[in-house]
Amino acid sequence: MAEPDAVQTFEDGLTKIRGAYEQALRDATDEPELRLVNGRYVGPQGELTKLLKLMPKLPGDRRRELGQRANALKQEIQTTFDVVLDGIHRRARDAELTGPSLDVTLPGRWPMPGRLHPITRIRNEVLEILVSLGFDVADGPEIELYENCFDKLGFPPDHPATDEHDTFFIEGGKPSGPHSVLLRTQTSTIQVREMSRREPPLAIVSPGAVYRRDDDATHSPMFFQLEGFLVDTDVTFAELKGVLTLFLRRLFDEHVAVRFRASYFPFVEPGGEVDMSCVFCRAWEGDKERTTACRVCKGNGWMEILGCGMIHPVVFENVGYDPEKYTGFAFGMGLDRIAMLKYGIPNIKLLYDNDVRFLSQF
Amino acid sequence: MLTSFRWLQELCPIEADVREVAHRITQAGLEVEAIEEKGANLSGLVVAEVRTRAPHPKRDKLTLVTVFDGEAEHEVVCGAPNVPEPGGRILFARPGTILPNGLRIEPRKIGGVESSGMICSEAELEVGADAEGIFIVDAENEALPGDEVADALDLHDFILDIGLTPNRPDCLGHVGIAREVGVLFGKRCEPRRAAGPRRTFAAGASFQADQPTTDLVPSWDGESEPVDAPALPSISIEIADGDRCPRYGAALVSGVRVGPSPFWLRYRLHNLGLRTLSNVVDATNLILLEWGHPIHGFDLNRLRGSKVVVRLARKGETMATLDGIQRTFTADDLLICDGEGPVAVAGVMGGADSEIRDDTKDILIECAYFAPRSIRRTSRRLGLQTDSSHRFERGVDPEAVPRVLASAASLIAELGEGASATTAIDRVAMAYSPKSISFRPARAAGLLGTPIETEESQRILEALGCRLIEKTDSAFTLEAPSWRPDLGREVDLIEEVARVRGYDEIPTAVPRVRPSESGTPEVLRFISALRTAAVTAGLYEAVNYAFLSVEELQKARVSTDVVALANPLSEDRSAMRTSLMPGLTGAATRAQRHGATEVRLFELARTFHPSDDILPREDTTLAIVLAGDRSGWIGGDRPFDFYDGRGLVEAILDRVIGQRSDFTPGEVPEFMHPKRSAIVSLAAREVGFVGEIHPDVGDALELHGRVVYAEIDVAALHVVTEELGTPQGHALPKFPAVTRDIAMLVREEFTAGEIATALSEASGGLAESVHLFDLYRGDQIPEGQRSLAFRVTYRDPESTLTDKRVDKAHAKVAEVARDRFQATIR
Ligand SMILES: [Zn+2]
Repeated sequence: MAEPDAVQTFEDGLTKIRGAYEQALRDATDEPELRLVNGRYVGPQGELTKLLKLMPKLPGDRRRELGQRANALKQEIQTTFDVVLDGIHRRARDAELTGPSLDVTLPGRWPMPGRLHPITRIRNEVLEILVSLGFDVADGPEIELYENCFDKLGFPPDHPATDEHDTFFIEGGKPSGPHSVLLRTQTSTIQVREMSRREPPLAIVSPGAVYRRDDDATHSPMFFQLEGFLVDTDVTFAELKGVLTLFLRRLFDEHVAVRFRASYFPFVEPGGEVDMSCVFCRAWEGDKERTTACRVCKGNGWMEILGCGMIHPVVFENVGYDPEKYTGFAFGMGLDRIAMLKYGIPNIKLLYDNDVRFLSQF
Repeated sequence: MLTSFRWLQELCPIEADVREVAHRITQAGLEVEAIEEKGANLSGLVVAEVRTRAPHPKRDKLTLVTVFDGEAEHEVVCGAPNVPEPGGRILFARPGTILPNGLRIEPRKIGGVESSGMICSEAELEVGADAEGIFIVDAENEALPGDEVADALDLHDFILDIGLTPNRPDCLGHVGIAREVGVLFGKRCEPRRAAGPRRTFAAGASFQADQPTTDLVPSWDGESEPVDAPALPSISIEIADGDRCPRYGAALVSGVRVGPSPFWLRYRLHNLGLRTLSNVVDATNLILLEWGHPIHGFDLNRLRGSKVVVRLARKGETMATLDGIQRTFTADDLLICDGEGPVAVAGVMGGADSEIRDDTKDILIECAYFAPRSIRRTSRRLGLQTDSSHRFERGVDPEAVPRVLASAASLIAELGEGASATTAIDRVAMAYSPKSISFRPARAAGLLGTPIETEESQRILEALGCRLIEKTDSAFTLEAPSWRPDLGREVDLIEEVARVRGYDEIPTAVPRVRPSESGTPEVLRFISALRTAAVTAGLYEAVNYAFLSVEELQKARVSTDVVALANPLSEDRSAMRTSLMPGLTGAATRAQRHGATEVRLFELARTFHPSDDILPREDTTLAIVLAGDRSGWIGGDRPFDFYDGRGLVEAILDRVIGQRSDFTPGEVPEFMHPKRSAIVSLAAREVGFVGEIHPDVGDALELHGRVVYAEIDVAALHVVTEELGTPQGHALPKFPAVTRDIAMLVREEFTAGEIATALSEASGGLAESVHLFDLYRGDQIPEGQRSLAFRVTYRDPESTLTDKRVDKAHAKVAEVARDRFQATIR
């Protein structure tokens, strides 16, 4: 049933809203306030919403017309709302674009950082070069038989050549002889192991921990070596020189000079040691004064870097290769020493202290 | 081996300077590690003549001396007891001179008397060890006042410190190094043949012995000085073990006067690092340094029974060596004995009873060749390394015995003003036979990778002392010289040729490396990937020593079934680790001690375990430790706990394996927290554990706070990867998923993991995933319960899901939650 007052109320309502909404919306300074104000008109409890709820009470002949007006008003409010909201967003964006900068000096949010140990790092660098030259990587036990560490590598029994290998022996094993058990003193054991189970051609590098009974300012009782060797028909000393020169230049600097001189290791012959021009005073640049003052090479411009040679026929005989058919070369280096040279590490003990202040430098 | 450059020049006169010689021998394998110039730091020091000598007016022990330095007289106060008479010459430091030790001589008052300058001792000039008195210039020296000391005393020299490799015993004496220098500089440098004794017994007296003898005057071309002959004793020499002592020679010098050595000898020994003792002992040392062949002098009158026997010791036999220590021998030790018992440890050290003393008159000089292994074993067993054992164990020249004896007898007779017998006993139990070696120039060229003229090879090898026996087109046969025990087969000669020419002469070539069939084992790449993953996940890599003490293992409650070292450096490092845990947590403890607030470390290394095989078992393990606080963004730090460890393990395994790992309660090692640890498995295989360290163990290890620890068994993990194979790609789903949430109150004893698994199974295969997105305990939640909310994602890969199917499946899911876990669905 229609109420004549209802029309009046409705019309008054529309008039009141129409007169007020625009200013009210435009007065809002931010989005929440705008939405609050907007809600006062078109929200569930809003004035316009309430009017619309009166629709059924309107007389039939006016209902349609009033309804259209109310909806039109609602549309106008929405339009105004959108315009005002756009304005607010624009102002906010302009304010951010023209206002003070973010404090970019505050820390970033990191995933947790970590680092490889310098020995792993140098091992990776060394392996990357040698593997790219065609060498395979191999591995062997750190606790070894005497024969694999010495006899089969051509160390004569009771010979001073073992003096540099002050060896840790395992308790309970045979106290002496080929089957006594020890901590390997060199990664050259890999030569024996790999040659005993494979046939040439072989090109192998093997990094790993080795142990000697030395503990002073420059020696650590455990340290890391890398052994490399190549066996095939017609392998020459010239190729040994080629591989090691290339290797050192790639690892340190393409300009380093490399010098081979005679030396002695029981399992190679001819045997040699390799010196490289000092990387601290950059001796290859020929700045005499800088080299003279260099404390690392003691002014002579060279540093000892690795040992090498042609695999001794006695090693081939011990693993059952025919030394007339095959030749090969081998080389070995201390990874600790190379890491110290390459990364300028002043003291070998730092490598085994595991102090994060040190580990985080690499 | 300290080497006098002057001495080398005397033995092999060449033009090259010391640097060039050092460079060439270094390249050839005799590494010169240092060069020290001698006589260069004495500028300003001069010879001066004593003019007057008077007691100091106030001080008893001081003398006032006026010296003339060639230009002026100086008055000096001298504290030495041996100021010579006027006319005597001394060494004088004028005011302003700087002594080798850096001290600057200034005029100063001593006991009220002005002293301008200093009269020096040997020690002050660092030309000898004598600090007792001042140096007095020998009467035979023609130096004049004002002559520089270094010139007047002939002090100029360079001392090379050569690091000799053990294959070159021939270079343990100056003769051998000079020979090497001669070869390298292309100079035929046959060391002067040793002169036989100049002072000999009248009538050429020789040993009265029924023994093979050798003539000691082969090359002396001057006049001998006959000395009155005492009655020469008869000495017999017996070698009871010819394998260990193939050759034993003995010379006799009689009537010596033991006293100080002349300056030139003391100076030379001083520069070469030996103490001077007496003329006779110094002479034996000089011979050692000259020939590289140890000799030993016995006081003839203290040898009992007129005989020398070289034999093995009887077990338990004893003798005092000349260092005063009573030694006990085994049946493996070779002894030199007289008629009654041992008088020397062969090749190692003489006995105290028969050593040369101040009153020694007659000396039996021993020069022998002992088998290297025998000497080494004895020297090792006795812990007695001497200049003598060092040379014998490397191998002296067996053929040098007569020459060395001649040199020694000559020098001792000369210095001791005694006389030598003109012959020596030379007993050979086993004759030396040279090794003959065939050398193929083609083989040398093939091995070195460069052609070498056959003539050049031959010239080098002959210069080194090899004797050509036979020569064909393709090979020649040579005999190696007796002083090179290291030359035994062809490759040894190839090395000689290569090193004398210089390795620089060999070109460089890069080989074509033929690939092997097997390549690098997969597990090594896998280990490398694990390290990278651990670093990427936020860990620093540690490297610990592989040995520690059993006590540390006990404290950490890890296995003490260890592989122990028989000869550890210390108790601290006497057992191989059975676990990475003590080492890695040790690093954490030290870091905390340094004040580190956050410790994140891993180690990937081996542990060692006794096994039934001859070699112990070596396991490779990845271990992780987290301690302290995990740092947040500007504050917001919070202590590490189990979930940080689990997350790290998941991240690492996900990166390496590409699969989610499972964490279940289970039996973890004793050192782990029983309630805050889990077993890690992958594809239903156990691969490790993670959790917090047992708080009692943490206390024992002096760790602070909760410490998270995890271990992954690399071998087990590698097996899983092999089983899982390579990841395979799948098409993306075609039909949309529907998600429904289910929240429940459930008792603490049910794990979120088992509930999620049950919910998934209850969905009749429709649940693609069940994801825990909320967990709440506290207000409004009954004691012993927690609120869990899961989001279940439903998908049918074959069709679009209807609401009805999802409702039905979700109702089943809720039913299981209620029935199996007595959950209250919220
Ligand atoms: Zn340098």
